[in-house]
Amino acid sequence: MTPEQIVLVQSSFERMRPALPSLANVFYQELFERDPALRPMFPDDMTAQKVRFSDKLTEIVGAIPRLPDLLAHTRALGARHAGYGVRADDYKTVGAALIEAIAAALGDDFDEPTREAWTIAYNLVAETMLEGAASVRLIGS
Amino acid sequence: MRSDAHVGLLIHGRAGVGKTRLADECRNWAAASGHPTERVVGSRTAAMLPLGAVAALLAEGLGYVDSDGHVNTVTLFEQTRLALRERHHGRRLVTVVDDAPLLDAASLALLGYLAAQNAIFLILTARTGEPVPDLLSGLWRDGRLERVDLLDLNRAHLDTLLHLALGGPIEAGAGREFWEASRGNPLYLRELVHGALESATLVERSGVWHLEDHLPATVRLQDLVEQRIGHISSDARSVVELLALCQPMELAYLETVFSADVLEALEHAGLVTVAVSRGEVTLAHPMHAQAVRAAMPKLRARAILLAEATRLEAQTPGAGSAELRIAVWRLDAGQRPDPSVLLRGAHLARYAHDFRLVRRLLEAVPAGQLDAVGALLLGEALYELGRFEAADRVLALGQELTSSEQVALRLAVTRAKNANWGLCQPQTALAINARARNVITSAPLAEELVADESAVWMFSGHPERALAELERITGNGLRARVIRALVGAVALAAAGRTGDAINAAQAGFADHMALGDELAIAHPATHIVNQVFALTEAGRLTEAEQLARAGIDSVAAHRVPIAQIWFAANLGRVATLQGRLATARRYYAEAAGLAEAHRFGGPLRLALAGLTLAHATLGDSQIARQTLERLDGVPEFGFLAPEHKLADAWTETASQRPKDAVEVLLAAADHAASTGHRTTESWLLHDVMRTAGVDTSARLEELARECDSPLVAARARHAAAARAHDGLELAGAATDFEAMGAMLLAAEAESAAAEAFSRAGDLRAATAAQRRSSALASLCEGATTPGLLLAAVPVPLSARERDVVMLAINGIASKEIAERLYLSVRTVNNHLQHAYTKLGVSSRTDLAQALGGSQ
Repeated sequence: MTPEQIVLVQSSFERMRPALPSLANVFYQELFERDPALRPMFPDDMTAQKVRFSDKLTEIVGAIPRLPDLLAHTRALGARHAGYGVRADDYKTVGAALIEAIAAALGDDFDEPTREAWTIAYNLVAETMLEGAASVRLIGS
Repeated sequence: MRSDAHVGLLIHGRAGVGKTRLADECRNWAAASGHPTERVVGSRTAAMLPLGAVAALLAEGLGYVDSDGHVNTVTLFEQTRLALRERHHGRRLVTVVDDAPLLDAASLALLGYLAAQNAIFLILTARTGEPVPDLLSGLWRDGRLERVDLLDLNRAHLDTLLHLALGGPIEAGAGREFWEASRGNPLYLRELVHGALESATLVERSGVWHLEDHLPATVRLQDLVEQRIGHISSDARSVVELLALCQPMELAYLETVFSADVLEALEHAGLVTVAVSRGEVTLAHPMHAQAVRAAMPKLRARAILLAEATRLEAQTPGAGSAELRIAVWRLDAGQRPDPSVLLRGAHLARYAHDFRLVRRLLEAVPAGQLDAVGALLLGEALYELGRFEAADRVLALGQELTSSEQVALRLAVTRAKNANWGLCQPQTALAINARARNVITSAPLAEELVADESAVWMFSGHPERALAELERITGNGLRARVIRALVGAVALAAAGRTGDAINAAQAGFADHMALGDELAIAHPATHIVNQVFALTEAGRLTEAEQLARAGIDSVAAHRVPIAQIWFAANLGRVATLQGRLATARRYYAEAAGLAEAHRFGGPLRLALAGLTLAHATLGDSQIARQTLERLDGVPEFGFLAPEHKLADAWTETASQRPKDAVEVLLAAADHAASTGHRTTESWLLHDVMRTAGVDTSARLEELARECDSPLVAARARHAAAARAHDGLELAGAATDFEAMGAMLLAAEAESAAAEAFSRAGDLRAATAAQRRSSALASLCEGATTPGLLLAAVPVPLSARERDVVMLAINGIASKEIAERLYLSVRTVNNHLQHAYTKLGVSSRTDLAQALGGSQ
């Protein structure tokens, strides 16, 4: 990422911070619409899950400028998700749903540079989560 | 692999995309999971010996040669299968076959048989362009072979990979260079990054990676390219070499020299790209051109370049862009082209903003043969490339040569700019300007010198003087208007006439677009930078931010480093006023990194001062002080000089020395007043109140009357309301700040409002103001200022109690607090006691705890 992109991700995140609960709603709605098979992996009552999602997103966005901090978050998170049965392909679906939810939250502020910045930020997170997931599979299989 | 339905995996893709690596990773994974593994490599030489490649799989001493000496393949295949089964206890042998299409037919048949019988699991790689053997494509069509197509990285993937590999963000221009050179090929990218790191071309500064120069072609990279194009015909190689040196080439010309087969084969192999609409041929990969050039014998390269130069000269005598190509080819061939050709070429390169090429062309002109225009072009290029001393020498030399009045003017203006911005010597710049005035007297040109003098005054820290000089310009030609706007917009904004400043910047940009890109004048984006500055001073922070963000993208694409630095620094400044301190810190770090890379001392000073201010406001007093110390090695710079002192002042504030901070701020405010930096003076005086509660409202109100800026007015309102302990007015000031997006100032004003309400006994209003203040403060990315510290505490303290408490919770003894605040120890202890009572605590430790949550 370029420093400008990091700033863009963090500043646009600041703008949508008050709307995080609705962002979580849109995200899960988009996710299950894109792949209904993912729905059973989550509890019926999503209230707590949505709060966890918002908290984790806040932590990760905050850690983006310092790669070691980010890795500390994402590797463990990826390892945990592998345990939940999340496959590499699912990361694409999640990415698309997340970008869609952010686009909805930002409205007119979601311009092309912002989309690029969030895409690269998500790639970074997904890539490092997959690393964490891979280490678990290797040991576990 | 876990099911028996699949017999293997086919990894397909272009050379260097990572097929082998992926295959080996799969094999490692299989091995780690307890599977037996084997590795087979297809190659052109091994293919000559039947079964040579798979020898490792064959069991020795098997009876597959019959009495006539013939190989019985059925027996051989079956015995191999049985032997493998026995050796691996029925588990499939995971077999990597690299470059499978290069295997001999017998090896392929054996592998196909073993796979079909579930004796082995295949992991095959095949390069795009190589025909996939029937046996493999048959297995794939039957659905027994899983096929994976590996593609080159796209731009987003490349950025992600760079970020992970380098461990941090990369400057936008450098990211683009890696993309353009590698075109997403992972192998080339890897070599480019390693090469750039080893040669220290890719360096980290302030946490961001920058490229110091063009990417180098390493020997290993040449080897890789050689492997890729190694086996083409000698005619095809001639085409590749010609393109590497002289591309793009006209298709029509190539067709007259080479047979259509050769060009077709090259296109099919993906080595050249044909743009039919333009009738041009280029090498498909930029890396190939660089590597082929680097590997070619010098004499051969020279012969090709000279032949092409001669051909093009005969074909298009004196034609524009052809002339630049010819000049470059002759230089590449080690010849010295005619100086007039070099000069014309330099002009063309200048209009493409390729200052490196301008420098290269003109430095090839023999000493004594460079004319005044050449000196002007070379001097300007050296300035843009950060070679300020060399620029001054060349420009001085140019001034000694006879030239038109216009060229003499531009030499003087460029040399003065170099002296002021590059060498950071405004007095020298003024002397150059004064000398030029004796020589240049005709009206419009003399007025340009006036504008130039005005620019020196402005950017050496004298906006008032700059405006006075500009008044003397009466001409109204396009160029005069543009030059006046370049200085005028900044000077007007600094003087507090922000409406005029914004208009001047907008009109200046429109005029500049009509004028076109002329010599000895700043880049048109400078007007946009000026507009950002003017909008900021007018308190229109959101507009300023948006404009600057659009601007930084456009100039990064055009590679205008000085404009990139200014946009980043202005974004840092806007973010500081918005109270988004972490954002400010990142932008200032970016500006400082770029300024350092391009050797602009003045902007570096400004960016480091801003960075210090951001660290200090975030409460990182130690890092602030370290950053402040970096300023010692940076030359003095007049532009907004009083404002740089905010860095010193807030470092003192963060170190709990408010008295020292106030001294620094008041001295800087005097300096600002004497030079006409009105908006800056208002910032400094407002901060006197913010750091130590000292009343500066009288002068702030004067400034508010002299300026048209709502930001300056809001500061005055804040200070006046604070003096009068007027809760409603303080809340009003907070609303003003909030409307401008200045959240930190709004939070502080609300906090003060809460205190005033509480003093007046209106606890309900106090609580509401407190709550608003906390909400605003939460938008400030962790800012820690005296005005915020107590925002979340239910019972407000008086200003004096607050000062004492702040020092006390930082572990400073009463005696020292007394010294720092000019109080007696008894008074300090009284204040502390009152604070304890109000906060319901009984010791310093409790005090820190009670306030800890708000920090």
